[in-house]
Amino acid sequence: MSQELILSRDAYLLTMDLRLFFLVASAYGFSSIVFILYIITRTPGVGRAGKALMSGGVVLHVGLLAFRTFEGGRAPFQSLYESLSWFACSTSLTYLVVSRRFRETYPPALFVTLLAAGASFYALLARSPAISPLSPPLQSRWFEWHVILAFLSYAVIAVSCAIEGTYLIVNPFLKRGRAELFGLTASNTDDFRKTAYNLVLFGFPLLTFALFSGAAWANEAWGRYWSWDPKETWSLITWSVFTMYLHSMSIKSWRGNTSSWLNIAGFVCMMMTFLGVNWLAKLLGIPGLHLYAV
Amino acid sequence: MAGKHSNWLYRKLSSMRVSVYLVGVLSLLYSIGTIFPQGADMKEYTNAGGRFLGAVRFFNLLDVFNTPWFLIPASILFLNTLVCAYDRFLGLRARKKAFPGTFIPQMEIPLPLGKTEAEGAVSDILQKNLGFKRPKSGPPPSWTVVEKGLSYRWLTWLYHAGIAVCFAGFMLSGLFVREGVITLEPGRPEPVISASPEKTGWLVRKDHPPPPFEIVLDEFVTEYAESPGLEYPKDKLSRLAVWLGWKELSYKMGEEPLIAKDWFSKLRVIKNNRTEYEKTIEVNSPLKFEGYTFYQEAYEQTLKLKVRGEPGIIEAKTGERVEIPSMGAKLEFGTLRNGTVLRLAGASGRIKPFVSVDRVVQTPEGTDGKEPYGKLEAGGSITINGHELVLTGFKEASVLSYRYDPGVPVIWIAGSFVLVVMALRCFGAWYLLAYSIEERDGRMRLSLSIKTKGLYAEPQRIMRGLTRGLRALS
Ligand code: HEM
Repeated sequence: MSQELILSRDAYLLTMDLRLFFLVASAYGFSSIVFILYIITRTPGVGRAGKALMSGGVVLHVGLLAFRTFEGGRAPFQSLYESLSWFACSTSLTYLVVSRRFRETYPPALFVTLLAAGASFYALLARSPAISPLSPPLQSRWFEWHVILAFLSYAVIAVSCAIEGTYLIVNPFLKRGRAELFGLTASNTDDFRKTAYNLVLFGFPLLTFALFSGAAWANEAWGRYWSWDPKETWSLITWSVFTMYLHSMSIKSWRGNTSSWLNIAGFVCMMMTFLGVNWLAKLLGIPGLHLYAV
Repeated sequence: MAGKHSNWLYRKLSSMRVSVYLVGVLSLLYSIGTIFPQGADMKEYTNAGGRFLGAVRFFNLLDVFNTPWFLIPASILFLNTLVCAYDRFLGLRARKKAFPGTFIPQMEIPLPLGKTEAEGAVSDILQKNLGFKRPKSGPPPSWTVVEKGLSYRWLTWLYHAGIAVCFAGFMLSGLFVREGVITLEPGRPEPVISASPEKTGWLVRKDHPPPPFEIVLDEFVTEYAESPGLEYPKDKLSRLAVWLGWKELSYKMGEEPLIAKDWFSKLRVIKNNRTEYEKTIEVNSPLKFEGYTFYQEAYEQTLKLKVRGEPGIIEAKTGERVEIPSMGAKLEFGTLRNGTVLRLAGASGRIKPFVSVDRVVQTPEGTDGKEPYGKLEAGGSITINGHELVLTGFKEASVLSYRYDPGVPVIWIAGSFVLVVMALRCFGAWYLLAYSIEERDGRMRLSLSIKTKGLYAEPQRIMRGLTRGLRALS
């Protein structure tokens, strides 16, 4: 194939890719609006419609990721544009799988679709969709597995946070004598919350693997398994907060709200790792100096 | 066990609460390390408009991971993990005591059999059909306790012990590490002596001798790929137009569409005047020899230039500015493109070496700026101010970083172990089933209590299997 033909083929594929992604992002955006309507009206039919729209978005999204894998000839999560897309897809998919256990409780879906729509639109608006050759340090098996599993753990953690947050909001109402809210009752709320715990139990070894493979990759590429750079450090903080959460679930007096808040803090730290590593420094007006090697 | 120990310190060090507090304190310190630029110089930090100068100076916040504020809680957590592991080990050995004498029944099943037959039948179903282990012998209590799956207590203990070993690995790194940088020119053996000050662990003597071998670079090659640029609109509205189908994307081949795919250094290790080991290293594939690891870190390029009609050769490093008085110009040379290239259409070949030339000019603000001037090929020339500048040759050197770190294998082995065992604990299934068979209201009744750990555990499966087995009996 001539160079011109290759360039026009690639441009065509990428344009299709972008348009499909826009459709997916819109599906997430619209379904979050439907879930807001559900929270206002508390009509199960509205919740079901939101979930159907979200499911449509996820099916399309899985197809899109397969398409991009074909387009790029490699796993589709190696630039921030790609990893945001992968995060949105895996989080929504995880939610759909897990929510079969509590079919009529939709508030976690609002959180998940807002997150998915936010990640997708951010990728579309702020990042370039170009598929360029990977820079030499990124050409590593360790890096590939590192990203796949880190993002899988992120998905699981985000859904866990959605459930824990719903529990924290609904539980006080149930305690004050309300018989039912969003399909949750005094008798099923503990089971509902246990799903959040089980998700962390599932995600924690993945997070540990992500930390380990990140260190192994750094060791192969730069000759140092740990250099305290902010992204690395935030991933250690996230991991530590989930260690605290899992321990707190084994301490009777902390198993209540303390551990719930630790789970939510874990999610916040995960988002810091993912996106906002230098945000705190900026907020405090601390100069970066780009000098992080200790 | 902790509860029986009267020693306050032992009780604290074997407490899970203390471990949670310590991990919390360390997390706060980690986050401080992400806020303040670690490794920066105090003066540099102040000049860049750094804030909280008093606290930064007092707590040494620009190097927080080497301060006692960090090292003390980290060491206590290490101790905490060790003492915990020891304490839980004692508990696990005396495990039978951990089972309560009685359980709260979660389910009751009437049995159409006599006591002895019922006991035999239930024990048979549990062991043969459902794979539970035989109950441990001892004085027959009213409740019989059987287990299935890998003991989660042992798994939890094992990976905590593994974490303690990882901590030991980090300490080994901190005490004995050595790392530095060497620059190799082709064909010239070099001892492993760092070009910049070596970073060493706390127990490494400053005058330690270099290792008894030398490294020689036989060849340094850069592999390029041809990479087109995407014309993606910058403003959000034009992007929207692309998404909605009103605008198309296009790729464009720039003037110099090369991006480096990899760097290769063909290395040999020479010991006692003999080649002991050879390897072509690249990023992500270092050379390992006698505890040392050598990584492809960077490269240095020196151009040999000549002004036609003038005597002498001018040597200029790429990326640095050079004044050439006889031409009345100050120039900066870009990366020398030399090596192989994979073309977009699939062909590959060697690049004719070339370098881009920028001219340093005065900006209206009076500072040095630069503007692109042209391309200079090996053997070719470029004319500046009426003078011809010729690229007569060049030298490429490979820059390797090296590291000697006895902590790495320890962390590697212990870390892999922790991962496997933790995965078994979290994803696997462990059941503790307690049952008692008693006669009440003239009928035999089986009372059951079941506890599970691990995501794969499903108590309903056990209950179903047991009822099915009992139904088959009757
Ligand atoms: C950096 C250090 C540590 C890490 C990363 C860590 C990690 C974990 C994780 C992930 C769990 C939850 C999984 C499970 O329930 O089996 C756990 C449980 C546990 N940890 Fe740790 N741990 C650490 C230190 C400690 C220390 C110092 C103690 C000492 C008291 C401790 C005692 C326990 C116990 C007893 C459990 C089991 C709880 C149960 O029975 O469910 N851990 N640990």
